[in-house]
Amino acid sequence: MQSLVEESAATEQQTEFNSVISAKRVNVFYGDTQALTNVDLEVPENQITSLIGPSGCGKSTFLRCLNRMNDTVDGCRVEGEILLDGVDIYGPGVDEVLLRARVGMVFQKPNPFPKSIYDNVAYGPRIHGLAANKDELDEMVLTSLEKAGLINEVQNRLHSTGTSLSGGQQQRLCIARALAVQPEIILMDEPCSALDPIATAKVEELIEELKENYSIIIVTHSMQQAARISQKTAFFHLGEVVEVGDTEKIFTSPSDERTQGYITGRFG
Amino acid sequence: MSGSGHTVTSYDEDLEAMSNAIIEMGGLAESQLESAIRSFIDRNTELAKATVEGDAAVDELEHSIDNKAIRVLALRSPVADDLRRVISALKIAAALERVADYSANIAKRVIALEKAPETRQMSAFPRMGEIVGRMISDTLRAYAHDDADLAYDVWKRDKEVDQLYNSMFRELLTYMMEDHRNISSCTHLIFMAKNIERIGDHMTNIAEIIIYQVTGTAPTEERPKGDKTSVTMISDSDIQSGK
Repeated sequence: MQSLVEESAATEQQTEFNSVISAKRVNVFYGDTQALTNVDLEVPENQITSLIGPSGCGKSTFLRCLNRMNDTVDGCRVEGEILLDGVDIYGPGVDEVLLRARVGMVFQKPNPFPKSIYDNVAYGPRIHGLAANKDELDEMVLTSLEKAGLINEVQNRLHSTGTSLSGGQQQRLCIARALAVQPEIILMDEPCSALDPIATAKVEELIEELKENYSIIIVTHSMQQAARISQKTAFFHLGEVVEVGDTEKIFTSPSDERTQGYITGRFG
Repeated sequence: MSGSGHTVTSYDEDLEAMSNAIIEMGGLAESQLESAIRSFIDRNTELAKATVEGDAAVDELEHSIDNKAIRVLALRSPVADDLRRVISALKIAAALERVADYSANIAKRVIALEKAPETRQMSAFPRMGEIVGRMISDTLRAYAHDDADLAYDVWKRDKEVDQLYNSMFRELLTYMMEDHRNISSCTHLIFMAKNIERIGDHMTNIAEIIIYQVTGTAPTEERPKGDKTSVTMISDSDIQSGK
């Protein structure tokens, strides 16, 4: 495999890890426009990986490749390999619905369904038939809300509508909803950009806790957030991965000038 | 890119003000050492007194650099090379403050030596001063131009200073053993030489900090060291045999 031979200098000094996702030579096109070029990225298990880069650099496109969200975009073509636990998620016979249960997603703007808090969380388990009976479903809902750090705030109002919660609570409800289908990986696309600093801190604290059991990939425009919460950072620019490495290394002495320029605020 | 300025230009101004203050402080520390040594060579007590008084200005600059660095840390949350620059400024300012303290201490001893009937002029002393003075000016140049090679060159030079100090130390011990009336002035001289040797050590430190600031990694090889005075003993027989 060519990509294994041509390891860039920027990836040399990383601490060792087990990959849960291996992206190899990923190219993505929207019609004639190439959005990603030869992206190689190893996503470590039970760690937080942040994807940073200026707007339009391809980081969200890459994130959306990981649970085949791009399949829903007209004219989008994905080339290369994305291995989840060694199996190509774009290979034949892969069920996208099951894939999205294994690779959950949390979006920029909290988007609870216009349903009760309980039904929001129960939605996934119901669709996937994960619970055998009402008691099991109750258990799943409560456990997910607990893991999402929301249970104390909502246990007396599980049947109120999800949209009645505050922004930060809604985002944690969306995280609970993603957790309910027992994913291995959680993708987060700027999950705190619509939240105030306190709600952001709560979500960040939650993400930290979740990494014990899940592998998390987060797209963020906040350098401070990437530095605070992630163990790995990948810097995207013009559709390519410029540099990927331990977050500490990226934020103290990045190898590539472009990374340095971007994170220090000298870009463009 | 990293060679160009920040999108927020006032950030550049903050960093520049901090770096300029370091260069100013370094220049001041350098002239403090120069005056201290000159005052010794010329037995100029007035100059020595002025040197002692001059130390306050260096201290003031250190506070000003600390404040500037703290401000950048608080307001800009620097990362990567910017972060290294701010941390380096804090450390360099602290080292330069020590350098100036040592110079002031030399000047104080010059004042004390005024009362000594006779002071041996030792050629090694101004030579040490010269070498260390050049270390300071080259270090400042390396800092001003982000020149890691020059910093590395300074870093390697400290051994020469250590060797001069060793020979001075032995020489002064010998004088003291020869005539106990020399003890008082020679003790001052030993401390003065030690002060210069310590300044050399601090410049080596600063050179290391500059290398880190510029490249992101500090030198990994062992620092060149030549000061053996802490394990030196001289006996009567050494003197008699002229060792």
